[in-house]
Amino acid sequence: MSTEIPVHAKERLKGLRSAANASGVFTSDFSVNEFLLVRKAGFEPIGLCVGSCVYHVGIQYGSWNRNQELDVLSKAMYHARELALSRMRAEASAMGADGIVGVKLTIKRLEWDEHLLEFIALGTGVVHGSGHKGFRAHDGGPFTSDLSGQDFWSLLHAGYRPVEMVMGSCVYHVAHRGVLAGLGTAGRNVELENFTSAMYEAREIAVERMQAEASAAKAEGVVGVDMHEGSHGWQTHVIEFFAIGTAVLPLEQEIAPEKIADPIMVLSVND
Amino acid sequence: MILGIFDRFKGPDAETLAARAREAALHAEIVAALQTGRVPAPMRARLEGARTGALPWIATLTPSELLIVRSHGLRPIAAVSATCWLHYGFSWTEGHSQGWETALQRLSQEAQAAGANAVLDVKMRTVPVHIANSMDFTLVGTAVHVDGLPPSPDPVIATVPALEFVQLLEADVVPTGIAVGAHFEWMSDWRGNAGGVGWWNNEARQLSMLWEEVRQRAHADLRRNARARGNGVLAHVNFSQMFEREVEHQPKQYLARHIVVATTIDARRGVPIPHDIKMVVDVHAGKTPLTGTTPHHQSYATNEVEGAI
Repeated sequence: MSTEIPVHAKERLKGLRSAANASGVFTSDFSVNEFLLVRKAGFEPIGLCVGSCVYHVGIQYGSWNRNQELDVLSKAMYHARELALSRMRAEASAMGADGIVGVKLTIKRLEWDEHLLEFIALGTGVVHGSGHKGFRAHDGGPFTSDLSGQDFWSLLHAGYRPVEMVMGSCVYHVAHRGVLAGLGTAGRNVELENFTSAMYEAREIAVERMQAEASAAKAEGVVGVDMHEGSHGWQTHVIEFFAIGTAVLPLEQEIAPEKIADPIMVLSVND
Repeated sequence: MILGIFDRFKGPDAETLAARAREAALHAEIVAALQTGRVPAPMRARLEGARTGALPWIATLTPSELLIVRSHGLRPIAAVSATCWLHYGFSWTEGHSQGWETALQRLSQEAQAAGANAVLDVKMRTVPVHIANSMDFTLVGTAVHVDGLPPSPDPVIATVPALEFVQLLEADVVPTGIAVGAHFEWMSDWRGNAGGVGWWNNEARQLSMLWEEVRQRAHADLRRNARARGNGVLAHVNFSQMFEREVEHQPKQYLARHIVVATTIDARRGVPIPHDIKMVVDVHAGKTPLTGTTPHHQSYATNEVEGAI
């Protein structure tokens, strides 16, 4: 790699405004490393895409002593995210993006009303540097991915391309325990099978839904899956199980392991 | 993305009843499976679908982790998970060993159902639902298949990330699972001076000895439990708590407890590390001594602090 500073960069350093960006300004929330690696992967950022949705989440209570999915809440949490994501995607389509990388999906509670949740999806729209359209999603629109710029580069080098962010949500009410239930177990550590079972059920519903989305997007697999639990101001026994990841497809055809460049293994002095 | 997935919730009565019946059947199947020590049928079907390719594979790995496992001939099959929710009728401290051990066995069964050789990136989790005297022990990881090997009847469970798993394998070390060491002791302060006396510096010797005792026994317990799985541990969690309890007309009581959770490994001694040490610049975001450790701006709170998804 040459250490010579390119002419454009030199001109900027001299304080001259370059005409290199004649078509306008791109916006992104990339870090320096992300920016460099997205370009190294052959893509150029064109603009920040954002979608938001303020959602009034309805009320649903679980029966005191019953494990059950709260489908009204599940549906609200899913639909609101879906609206935010599809608005972000529409913005990316409008600017001609081939995809969106680094999507951050966040939820905020609005202080003045406990039923209002604000969902925000924010990512950077990118285009392929030489106009290759093969990276678009199965419906011809931009791909979406919550992968960072670094992860995007790594994914392409592992032989895969991102297709779509896929997710599954299950808001679940974990039953309360009867007062008498504890008596039989005094003096022993015993498993509470009812609760264990609740965890299995809720997690299974969330994962199944995510996997169904990946199948619908004709993906081969889902990478970077995060399965986590969250509570958004509900009763103490109500919890959301949420699975999210990026559905991926092999690039043209899967690269055989021996064709993937061997990463150099190092013993890191970092934390 | 599909919204059709929720269509089944729309109708009121007949559909709700059908959904409830399905829920009840699922619940009964899961409880029966837990009691007989097998993988519940719906999970088994999903894992088999992922194994045969009928369903998309699922990996908790990041793309760079995917890259590194693929370059070492490993393929992700499915995300696997296991839970044991335990009630502490006897001892909170010693329940940890039982809870993680049960979850570990269930995770291993899921991995077998997925036809895996190993489970990587196993994370230990507990949901934030607080139910008196109980806690859940949950393990989540990614089951992988090693190219050219038949499915294993006893898959390796690695509570380390993919990169560290591969690093260990290259150094001829196999991570094998989890071992827990736990111990607690109550101590009564008969002489009323356990917390130290007077206005001068002096060691609260009884409390020191209590801690020594509890920690040594917890570590002895760890060593005993680890022996079944390997010949070494990497102890990544050391947790301890001490409480004082005052009871009327009786001496003060102290409770000390210590829990240590470790990744067990099987290592051949004296094998040289095959890698040279080189200074490199890591392009991944995160802590590195090369870019300083203080944040470069702190004027604006980011969305993340409001609570991630």
